[in-house]
Amino acid sequence: MTALVWGLEWRIALARRRLFVLNTLVPFLLVVPVATGAAPAVHASVVYAVLFAIFSAFGSAIPVVRDAESGIAGRMLRGGISPSSYLLQRAAAGAALDALQLTPALAVAALGAGASPERLLVTFGVLTGTAWIGNLIGPLVAATTRSLAEAALFTAVGTLLLLHMSGVFRTPLPGSYGALFEAASPFRALHESLLSMSLPGPVGGVGALGAWGLLLPAVIAVLAGPITRSLRGVIRG
Amino acid sequence: MATAGVLDASEIGRTAGMVQAAGLRYAYRSGAPVLHDVDLEVRVGEIVALVGPNGAGKSTLLRILAGDLVPGAGTLELPARRSAAGRVMLGYAAEEGAHFESLSGLQNALFFARAAGLGRAEARAAVAEYIEALGLTAEGQQRVSDYSFGARRKLLLVEALAHRPALTLLDEPFAGLDQASRVALINILRLQAVNRGTVVVASHDLVLLPELADRIVFMHEGRVAASGRVAELLASVGRTTRFEFDLDRRPEGLEGRLRAGIRVVSDGDPLVLEVNRGQGALAEACGALVAAGAVVRSVKVRDADLAEVFRRATGSEFEP
Repeated sequence: MTALVWGLEWRIALARRRLFVLNTLVPFLLVVPVATGAAPAVHASVVYAVLFAIFSAFGSAIPVVRDAESGIAGRMLRGGISPSSYLLQRAAAGAALDALQLTPALAVAALGAGASPERLLVTFGVLTGTAWIGNLIGPLVAATTRSLAEAALFTAVGTLLLLHMSGVFRTPLPGSYGALFEAASPFRALHESLLSMSLPGPVGGVGALGAWGLLLPAVIAVLAGPITRSLRGVIRG
Repeated sequence: MATAGVLDASEIGRTAGMVQAAGLRYAYRSGAPVLHDVDLEVRVGEIVALVGPNGAGKSTLLRILAGDLVPGAGTLELPARRSAAGRVMLGYAAEEGAHFESLSGLQNALFFARAAGLGRAEARAAVAEYIEALGLTAEGQQRVSDYSFGARRKLLLVEALAHRPALTLLDEPFAGLDQASRVALINILRLQAVNRGTVVVASHDLVLLPELADRIVFMHEGRVAASGRVAELLASVGRTTRFEFDLDRRPEGLEGRLRAGIRVVSDGDPLVLEVNRGQGALAEACGALVAAGAVVRSVKVRDADLAEVFRRATGSEFEP
């Protein structure tokens, strides 16, 4: 299968120029006051982590539900796009677009934190990986919802829960279940890399991010059929 | 129009039935049954029209054939999803279909042609050919969000047909089309059938369907009410013409006062008489009524057309 969906997502994103600019401008404008306001690094990294994680997950789940509701997803799947190609190529394109659109915001955050180019590069890589995870979570959430409102709610709750389990809001006690969850969480690396732009140190959770980045697409590839049937609303009568 | 790319019988993997459905039932979640034990066989290279009023179950049947719905009971045999050559075997245009609104019609059609397995150059050629044939050339480069209803309908048809599917399912294909596009569509579908493409359309259009369909399947309240070739169906209503009379005065014992050859089909209001078809049939029926003492206010001719076939098969008027 050629990268038809990947190419389609880019063509649509570039054709919707206003939305592209807004997606770039809004996170940038949200980051600017934090980056230039002398916020403590610990607080600033929390704000950035929440913003970037929710941006990716929302940006995936809601369009998936919208396209399922409009029927275009069903047309693509019936028209020859395989379920796994539809979900994975879409997530890959979404992650690349998210990374691109968040780059100005990340650059401002790095400038505000006085990060070295190497730290910025590491954080950009982690951000792209996190966007990949966020875009893979989107279809999973979308498959369990019946409307845009439900998708928004489930995405917000799910992402915040994952962020919490990643130790973004509170560092868990060593040896606790919370610490175990944190070690395995996909969003820990994002938080720690953002923190390390101000307070250089080792970035934890990169291994977990990589593992999720491989595991989640495999799960989606296996479940692609049921997920897309749910999205299409194929109903036995 | 080019014929290259039309799948042959070996790719279809079956030579007799392209679609074989038996005892199909479907009910929506609300519980209301939509299809009751529907049987349908469509042969390779055949054009079949599903005809019936709203709610007859035509679109539901097409959606089942397209794989959008799964029947609650019955058996269904369809061609493989893809041919050995990797082509998508199905082309389906629902009555309404979503598009990528921010892209042009050409980009939309190219995407679906490529998804169906056509190479880049082949997709371009096929899409250009169908866009021109259906009169969409002027709008081809415009964003779909700027399209009229008719242009959207044409684009749906281009997307369903450009990969020359083995089985084409079209729901109300003539809706929103101008006369030239209707004729072009009929020609495209006839050519497709000549090249062993199979077509199932759902439509209300009893004027155009006889020009297109090899066989007509009348559906009514989720059941197949009648089916056959157009000539067979017309022959089934006999060599008679029916007239509906509104009478200002109705003499007593009318039936007994009409001469042989004129039959009362319904003695209600309106009065329906059946007379052997011919030039003088109307005069004969009117004359017989007047002679019997009736005063005729108005008369409707119900010739042996497809609407009459439907009416006789179902007892209901065909209301498109």
